[in-house]
Amino acid sequence: MSPRTRELGFLIPAALVGVLGTASVASAQSRTLGSGAFTILGVVVGLFVLMHIALRLRTPFADPYLLPIVATITALGMVTLYRINPVLAREQVLWLGVATAVFILVLACLPDHHLFEQYRYLCGLAAVGLLMVTMIFGTNISGAKLWIRLPGGQSLQPSELTKILLVLFLAGYLRDKRELLAVPTRQIAGIALPPVAVLGPVVLLVGACLGVLGLLNDFGTPLLYFGVFIAMLYIASGRGSYVVASLTFLTVGAVAIWAVIPHVQTRVDAWLHPFADAQGQGYQIVQSLYALANAGLIGPGWGQGFLIGPNGNYVVPVLDTDFIFTAYAAELGFIGAMALLCLFIVLVARGLTIAAQAPDGYSKLLAAGLATTLGIQGFVIIGGIVRVIPLTGVTLPFMSYGGSSVVTNFAIIAMLLIISHRSRVPFRPRVPRAVRAEAQRQMESMGGVTSE
Amino acid sequence: MNRSIRRLFWVLSGGFVLLACTLGYWQVIHASAIDNRPGNPQTIQRTLLVARGAILASDGSKLAVSVASNQQGQRVYQRTYPNGTFAPQTIGYANTVQGMTGLEDSQNGYLTGDYGAQSLLGSLGLRARRGANVTTTLDVAAQEIANRDLAGKQGAVIALDPRTGAVLVMASSPGFDLSQVATNFRHIIAQPGGPLLNRTVQGRYPPGSTFKVVTATAALESGLFTPMSMFDDTGSVLASGQLLHNFNNEQFGPNNLTQALTFSINTTFAKVGLALGAQRLGQTMNAFGFGRAPSVDLPAGTVFVSGRVSGNTILSNTQSGEDVARIAIGQEQLLVTPLQMALVSGGIANHGLIMNPYLVQKITDSSGSVVFTHHTSVYSRATSPQIAAEVNTMMRDVVKEGTGTAAALSGLDVAGKTGTAQTSTNGLYDAWFIGFAPAQAPTVAVAVIVENSPLTGGVVSAPIAHDVMQSILAGGR
Repeated sequence: MSPRTRELGFLIPAALVGVLGTASVASAQSRTLGSGAFTILGVVVGLFVLMHIALRLRTPFADPYLLPIVATITALGMVTLYRINPVLAREQVLWLGVATAVFILVLACLPDHHLFEQYRYLCGLAAVGLLMVTMIFGTNISGAKLWIRLPGGQSLQPSELTKILLVLFLAGYLRDKRELLAVPTRQIAGIALPPVAVLGPVVLLVGACLGVLGLLNDFGTPLLYFGVFIAMLYIASGRGSYVVASLTFLTVGAVAIWAVIPHVQTRVDAWLHPFADAQGQGYQIVQSLYALANAGLIGPGWGQGFLIGPNGNYVVPVLDTDFIFTAYAAELGFIGAMALLCLFIVLVARGLTIAAQAPDGYSKLLAAGLATTLGIQGFVIIGGIVRVIPLTGVTLPFMSYGGSSVVTNFAIIAMLLIISHRSRVPFRPRVPRAVRAEAQRQMESMGGVTSE
Repeated sequence: MNRSIRRLFWVLSGGFVLLACTLGYWQVIHASAIDNRPGNPQTIQRTLLVARGAILASDGSKLAVSVASNQQGQRVYQRTYPNGTFAPQTIGYANTVQGMTGLEDSQNGYLTGDYGAQSLLGSLGLRARRGANVTTTLDVAAQEIANRDLAGKQGAVIALDPRTGAVLVMASSPGFDLSQVATNFRHIIAQPGGPLLNRTVQGRYPPGSTFKVVTATAALESGLFTPMSMFDDTGSVLASGQLLHNFNNEQFGPNNLTQALTFSINTTFAKVGLALGAQRLGQTMNAFGFGRAPSVDLPAGTVFVSGRVSGNTILSNTQSGEDVARIAIGQEQLLVTPLQMALVSGGIANHGLIMNPYLVQKITDSSGSVVFTHHTSVYSRATSPQIAAEVNTMMRDVVKEGTGTAAALSGLDVAGKTGTAQTSTNGLYDAWFIGFAPAQAPTVAVAVIVENSPLTGGVVSAPIAHDVMQSILAGGR
């Protein structure tokens, strides 16, 4: 069975999840299964079929599991969104359309991802530039200056695009300096460190990104960037001591930020003692915990939880973006949430498998970086919700409402599939006709089996 | 590089396993503790999905009922209160925003059908959970009269049947309308006087002279005094280095214990207190239930303890080295709830036996069969029947001969004691009346308090007690 046929087969259960989920919400909410729900379903299925066709044409040998996993997570996300806010679900379908276009565009226009290797510094500068632009022209939404308002009334979140640029830069740069990195030249407090000249620019660039984001009052994204940086540094160097050094740096930085910025202090307080200020700083997390605990092991089922108050407001603030995981787990319970966590870890596993199968260091670093980005982003927001780490405002990939996020994440999937295809396409050397004829003649003269 | 990639995968997997474990903690292991946190709207909403049972007065009239409606696509039951101002603090409310209070809170398990085998069948989805109906002991006519008499004042009225402990009236003013809670809560809490406070069980007041009933009981218990024991009042007594005077600095001359109770002579009771000592007076206080609080079927922690209060702690009643003379006349950090004083009055009325006070008479399920009936039980043995009878007689004299009180209570055979405790504002008093009727064979005991009154307990509180007791006795009790 060809990888693409396998992929098509696995897309069917994903579609079923969407159909059953929508029906479940509709019946629980005694909504009529009007054309609205069917239109959303039909369009989403159609978009994934389009992506599938594009993959058939451009990358027939790419990993068959990645798209079905993403489709399943998207289905769960769309149903959850449809349940809490049908209007946003319709808007999200439009964003999914844009994401599909970008996905196909990447497949069509990017024959070889190595193209970015030579433009690594450009990518790095673009990343910092984008953040600078946000800092200057950005709008403040819920305490963080993360969005750029577009004339059409929509807003753009550049930090999402920046994460791809950062991975592209790190993959190129770390591949380039890999040999130098592998040999530590000095030790500080027993921790081996690479030459300053090698690591300097990286630390500088990542530091710039983190600094800018600190100024933008968003701390989930720096955490994500730093995590990806450490992961890629470890893959490039294979040295655990660098990870230790980086984590030390991260801890010191985190404490420094905590000591200086009041916004962070309140968030940390809300993290450690949410019930101490349940009506104030801890409100979001407390309401979210209430909703999660109410669901229990199995959950009441889609559409049957208490997520929308009598006045039509969300019971947990920002339920459609930061807290989409709560909206999901509050109705499907612990078992449903486990299924989602499994989907995410399998997604990361496929991404890292692609990295492991890739033939060259750049592809490995790039694929691992992109896969890690999705994994860490999921960890940061879900970890914030279940109080493993302080709550930060990043989106849950493929689930949260938001255009920038979904477009960027589908671009990441497209790039992973390109890398996968290029490492799995069978090696078929081009042999000139004359050479082939000569070989044939030699075999015949040796009395071998003749063809025909 | 592949080795590093593999290790990276294990680290990320470990992270997700950590998420799964933590989520399991919140959703499964620790879930019920979170569910039970006060004010959890999820829990309250879950109860709204159940056809919540009704709360009824003793005559079966509806005080709280549920009406089905559709909310955001779900069938929910809206709580309505046909007579929302009847006993708002006692009945309480249950909604998603303000939480639960009163009987709505304490009886939530029965009201939501979460009891006995119902609970299991309901949670397995085998049977739609239907709430049971709670019938209270509240007497409609008497409660309405208490509300009417308290209107415009701050205060409380509690009446109970001393033979059983059934709470017949539990009125606290200012009140509010339960049907306004969901829509107009901000307005309610902005009202002066704290309408949400159930003053009968949460108001803590200096008992003033009503406490002399306790001191008189202790005096007779000790064997040192009889109702006829003589004293000589010279207008003041030196206690703990400070002179102690009578109300309005009156001077009574020779008097006996009964007369001292009738005219509320401070110096006599101060002398009695000094003679008894902290130990003996404290033991009688213990016997009357000071220092602990019955539940009265209200939510845990909402019935306050009476006793000597220091900051947030209740001091031991028998603590030595205290100013017993002033404790004996109801001063010295002594703070009591109207419920406690009704129990004192009820204990004397019921031959020295205080019955456990209660609000829930019976509970019937949706098919009408009784699932709970209150069984009367003894709360405390306050004193012996003989001494109770002697104090009863003394309290009858109070009403017959006490200033102004007799007129206020005309037409009823009442035993009682007034109290007029000074407040922080000069010339304003916490005016008390405690008592019971008919004095020979009491069927109702009351405690009435009116805060910040310029008039004495005999003038302002006794008439309220009169109206309430008359209504209850007319009701055939």
